[in-house]
Amino acid sequence: MNKKLKILLIEDDMIEVMKLNRTISTLKLDHKIIEANNGEEALEILEQKDDLPDIILLDLNMPKINGIEFLNILKKDSVLKYIPTIILSTSNNQKDLLECYKTGVAGYVIKPLKYEDYVSKIEKLLAYWSINELIVV
Amino acid sequence: MSQDQTEILQRALKRERAARKAAEKILEEKSRELYFTTQKLELLLDEKSTQLEGVFENILDAYVVMDLEGNFIKFNEAATKLFGYDIARDQVNVINLIYKEDVSYAMTSFLELQNKGFFKNYEARVYTKSKEVKWVHINASVIYDKDKIPVAAQGVVRDITEQKISEEKLIESENRLATLILNLDSGIVLEDENREIVLTNNKFCELFKINAKPTDLLGMDCTAASEQNKILFKDPEGFIDRMRAIDIDKKTVLGDDLEMLDGKILERNYMPIKIGDNYKGYLWTFKDVTLNRTYRKSLEAQKQKYYNIIANMNLGMVELNNNDEILMVNQSFEKMSGYTEAEVIGKNARTLFSTEGGEELLKEEREKRQKGLSNSYEIKAVCKTGKTRHWLVSGAPNYNIDGEIIGSIGIHLDITETKNLEVQKEKLLEKLERSNDELQEYAHIVSHDLKSPLRSLHALVSWLKEDNQGKLDTVSLQNFGLIETTLEKMEQLITDVLNYSSVGADNAVKVDVDLNSMVSQLISILYIPEHIEIKSLHVLPNIQGDKTKLQQLFQNLISNSVKFIDKECGSIIIDVEDLKSHYKFSIQDNGIGIDKKYHDKIFKIFHSLKKSKDSSGIGLSIVKKIVNLHDGEIWLDSEPNVGTTFYFTLKK
Repeated sequence: MNKKLKILLIEDDMIEVMKLNRTISTLKLDHKIIEANNGEEALEILEQKDDLPDIILLDLNMPKINGIEFLNILKKDSVLKYIPTIILSTSNNQKDLLECYKTGVAGYVIKPLKYEDYVSKIEKLLAYWSINELIVV
Repeated sequence: MSQDQTEILQRALKRERAARKAAEKILEEKSRELYFTTQKLELLLDEKSTQLEGVFENILDAYVVMDLEGNFIKFNEAATKLFGYDIARDQVNVINLIYKEDVSYAMTSFLELQNKGFFKNYEARVYTKSKEVKWVHINASVIYDKDKIPVAAQGVVRDITEQKISEEKLIESENRLATLILNLDSGIVLEDENREIVLTNNKFCELFKINAKPTDLLGMDCTAASEQNKILFKDPEGFIDRMRAIDIDKKTVLGDDLEMLDGKILERNYMPIKIGDNYKGYLWTFKDVTLNRTYRKSLEAQKQKYYNIIANMNLGMVELNNNDEILMVNQSFEKMSGYTEAEVIGKNARTLFSTEGGEELLKEEREKRQKGLSNSYEIKAVCKTGKTRHWLVSGAPNYNIDGEIIGSIGIHLDITETKNLEVQKEKLLEKLERSNDELQEYAHIVSHDLKSPLRSLHALVSWLKEDNQGKLDTVSLQNFGLIETTLEKMEQLITDVLNYSSVGADNAVKVDVDLNSMVSQLISILYIPEHIEIKSLHVLPNIQGDKTKLQQLFQNLISNSVKFIDKECGSIIIDVEDLKSHYKFSIQDNGIGIDKKYHDKIFKIFHSLKKSKDSSGIGLSIVKKIVNLHDGEIWLDSEPNVGTTFYFTLKK
């Protein structure tokens, strides 16, 4: 039986947020989305240690704290570092990829142009993580 | 007859009788006297003969007597000893004795004996009984009987073998000496006390350009000859004056240099030959020393040349002893360092100019010199002014004549300016690298920022379609489709621009790339319509390069060909040719072709010839960039409506 995931989406683009929400509802999945418009907001949310997300979907290109900076903060935290973080990015810049995997990410997904392709990718991604065993803090 | 007459006759008779008696008496006396004389003479003769016999028997030289047929009839003891024959027993003829080479001489002498009755000073060789050859000297004469008829011949034979041998030896050594003098490398003139030539040789004639044999000069007057010869010299009067002075002085003179007009230099020596207190002659020798003198001169010139180079070269030179104490510096070094030579002589070079840490380096260098090693190194040196300069030093050990290291010689070049430039260059490069990185980063961010809205637009259009399913007419649906296509095209454009800016920015390590498997893999991945056939004529090689970029190169070119094939049966032919340092590749298609006037243009960015959904005009610019990155070139052959062949080279 697929797990119901608590997903923290860190994304500054409103339409991107809408896309994920719509995708989940279209696919009739029963996951809970927590939205954070930027890194600072996300860190605030993550303060609440008793209600931590199962996975984090992280956009790289954000104002203020960018994705990689946020990832670094996360990985320095003794608890938060265990939350699988999947990058959702437009950039296939090798340098970014290398940097992310070095810091420690659980995945790196390129946002496709076509919405249908996006739906398909998200479906697979969520299906994968919903069958994974996750650390419960 | 008268009485008187008778008386006169009688007296006359008487006188006659008396006279006869007296005459008889005298005769008688004379006869007696004669008798006694004869007796005495015979005695004397006998005595003399015996005496002579004794002399012949006992003389040291051989005495021989032979008959007219040449048969020996008498040998004295010396002759017996000389010839080895015992005359009493052996029958010996003169013919047996004559040495075969001397036969004609012997015959001539024998004839002389016959005609004149004697010969003298006959010298020839003879055989002894034991066939030994001996030199003999013979005086011979004919013996006559009382009627002057020749009856025999006698001869005195002297053994001169020893004498001959020593004579020959003397001649031989004289010859040797003469040959030696004749061919001596020095010109020689021996003159007597009257300055007449007694001896000279070939070399002398050669040196003084005398067209004669040395023997022709004998007896010539040297004073006169030198007047003729003086024109050969640069200073003719000086030559004569000096010669006269030497002649008057009569003392040994060695090593005078004479310069000749033709550039030759002769060394003249003079030696008087004295026997007792008297001068017996003077020996002049002349030697061509042009080469020696020129060597010495060119050596001097060379020395001067190097001295000038050292003094004037724009490189500082320092000579150190084994304790690093300065022995010598040149002017340039004085300028470079700001010190005068006097200020640095004897100072320790290691501490005088050293900066922090520099002393250690100099110590290492010194150890290398001690091992006989030379090398170049850079140092920072503090000048007299206190300023730090960069010097490039080329150091080499300095040896003495015995090959021992006595110190070192350093050539210094002030490279401060160059060094500053180098530092500047490094900084610039760093900056360039940084801005390149920034640019790269910028390209990514820009493309990200441009792509995001496109994605959003696409999502929104999709939702509009989804949310209004069944409510939209065909035209609206078509328009939505066009929006999506345009978005895709826009996205592709952004991707291509990003790719283009990435090529050449990445300094990927070059690896061995197997083009053959890479291209066949590529063909299997690419979309190739059914009517197009791709052929490789030869196995593609392995080359050193960036795999991703090479793949992009082939992909772009093959896709390009595919894209522009308008024939029913398409054909793409890939081939390769091995050039020396490069490979030449070709990709040939039978597509629409490219007009000649566009051949250069197509490699420029945004110069797509056929605006279409899948052609942004960047593909070939990327191709050119990749080819250039691999030290290659790209060009093409094309005929509109027939096809195009792209050629490109890649470094092996």
